[in-house]
Amino acid sequence: MPTATTAGHRYYELWDPMPDDVREGARRFATVQALNELVGVLQYVEWLDRAPSHTRRQMLMAKIQDEVGHGHVVARVAEDLGMPREQILVDYLEGRLKIHNIFHYSFQTWEELGPGLLLTNSAAIQQFQSLAKGVYLPYSRALRKVEREESFHYQHALDLTHEILTHGDATQRRRVQQGFELWLPRILAYLGPPDTDTLHGNRMWQVGMKPDGNDAVRQAWLTKIIPVFRKLGVHVDPSLVSQAPSGEWQFAQPDWAATKKIIANGGPSSQRRLDYVRRVLDRNAGYRRALRGVA
Amino acid sequence: MPKVPTDDPNIYEVFAQSGQSTGLNHVGSLVSPRPEFAWHLAKETYGRRDDLVNLWVTRRADLIVSEPADRGLLAAKTRMPHRQPGFPTARRRDRSSAPVASADPQADRAVADDPAGHRRPDDEATTARRDLGAARGPELSDLWLALADDLFVLGNRLGAHITDYIDLEEALAVGSIGQEAVAHAGTILLLCGFDQAAVDAWFFDRRHEQWQVSRALERVLDWPSLVAGGLLIAAAVTVLADETLGLEPGAAHLPPIAAIRQEQQVHLEHWRRLAQALTTWPETAAEFGLVHARVTEYGGDLFGAVPQGIASGALPTGPAPVAQLHERLAALIEQDGVPTSRLPASPQQRAVGRGGSALAESLNRGRSVRDGYAAGVFR
Repeated sequence: MPTATTAGHRYYELWDPMPDDVREGARRFATVQALNELVGVLQYVEWLDRAPSHTRRQMLMAKIQDEVGHGHVVARVAEDLGMPREQILVDYLEGRLKIHNIFHYSFQTWEELGPGLLLTNSAAIQQFQSLAKGVYLPYSRALRKVEREESFHYQHALDLTHEILTHGDATQRRRVQQGFELWLPRILAYLGPPDTDTLHGNRMWQVGMKPDGNDAVRQAWLTKIIPVFRKLGVHVDPSLVSQAPSGEWQFAQPDWAATKKIIANGGPSSQRRLDYVRRVLDRNAGYRRALRGVA
Repeated sequence: MPKVPTDDPNIYEVFAQSGQSTGLNHVGSLVSPRPEFAWHLAKETYGRRDDLVNLWVTRRADLIVSEPADRGLLAAKTRMPHRQPGFPTARRRDRSSAPVASADPQADRAVADDPAGHRRPDDEATTARRDLGAARGPELSDLWLALADDLFVLGNRLGAHITDYIDLEEALAVGSIGQEAVAHAGTILLLCGFDQAAVDAWFFDRRHEQWQVSRALERVLDWPSLVAGGLLIAAAVTVLADETLGLEPGAAHLPPIAAIRQEQQVHLEHWRRLAQALTTWPETAAEFGLVHARVTEYGGDLFGAVPQGIASGALPTGPAPVAQLHERLAALIEQDGVPTSRLPASPQQRAVGRGGSALAESLNRGRSVRDGYAAGVFR
């Protein structure tokens, strides 16, 4: 029996009997998200020791800690459903799990960081708000905790971007603009292929783990974030994204074949991420055993 | 310190959930002579009115609970304001109401050098004191300033090790210890009379030759050396905080020093547990023993600060009892189950501007973004 029933959906706690699709779907969602939090954060770690003031360094360190914390809460959800945490990184190294397209890149400049983070954080918030409506309650609760911290990351990214646009010189401001144009198509691709035709055949939609389609999430996200960039003084080129009189956003379709290659570890920093994870797992294996007290 | 509240096995705490949108709430406790009765008694005791969706019962003896004295450590919002969503916004608002910094480097420097608005550590008065300083032993504030260098370097090193994935919970602990160490480094400078711009100048504009980082942190690059180095720094800060707190009861610097001491005490306990784990585990014992010996041997300079001619600010003045502090440090880092330390019998002087090329590289990287911008842009 489910823990609760609302509007045709049944909601489940860990120990409730539930359909296999819900259990497996929840385990997969939580596992994939844990991996992406734990590997995605490496993009920001690379900039920690270049953060240029005491306060900025504190905020960036807090963000990095939060991302690992998000990895931890969703890894716990996955562990309770039978996916051991060690397996998540091992599956990534052995090619059974993939990271999202956006985590196969590195930031090239400090100025790119602000707009890149702002786009990423806002898209993640949009996506988590949608997924938090799902039927597996421990995952929903984990997402709500994550969302609360993401709102700090969002404000931090806004602050980073604003600082350079307000106080930087013309070259530095131009790099912010370029960062926006570089990352917007990547995030459009991150939110997934168009699903208008396929959503209702998607098993995760049917069982209530994926409450909204990719297009709905993407449109809602653009409605929120594009005005934010305009207000910051970033030019939004209509060839990149524009709004029809109906309110619907139009954008150049991401190159889905290229995106697929990037996700299959074919991006500019894919190897670097794999190498890093392999190195820390190998180097720390003995210390990890010492900490846990089990061989 | 958190504690197990009772050893009475018959007391149970009861948690209930009345709707799926709210979490479980603690609703009360009960006594049950037999464990198999506990849940049913809870249902009769606390579940007579509402439609509950969940009812959980656990033994009080299985809990670890905070004490009133832990409240300071639990006040995350107060202690770490930089984590709040409102923090970047408030910061921007404060800045836009302050005089506008332009992109003209000359104009910004003029603002940054204004001794009234932005006290710099190397103004005239302190330069004069620097000449005197060399002939005297270090003052308490000199020891604090040198430890601020250590805390800043250690904190950043810990930040980079959040993603070392020893384990996820440990990664989060390391993240907090790192942020607190960096925060303490800043607080120490503020107590020495710096303002925020001067704090940034101190940590980001000094060349690496001007730093006085303890040799104990020279090669803190792997897990065992982080544990040994973290333990040593936390112990040194604890010793110096105790000394400072004992000097002028009621003085203005006491609350921030007391807060630093409380947090560093927690760090010390954290590293002690890890040191013990690495020592008792056969696979890591030999390596940790070597690293611990090296780090503690190098840690002889922790109270060997070279006076830098910085006024003591709000901190008490007068020569620091370096030898006593060193002895107290030696006593504090000894613990059961961990090798005896190799701390030298007497304090060694810190080397200014040495500290390994990894450290120099890291400090130089810290300036790489900042150097490309006009002074005063980053806060």
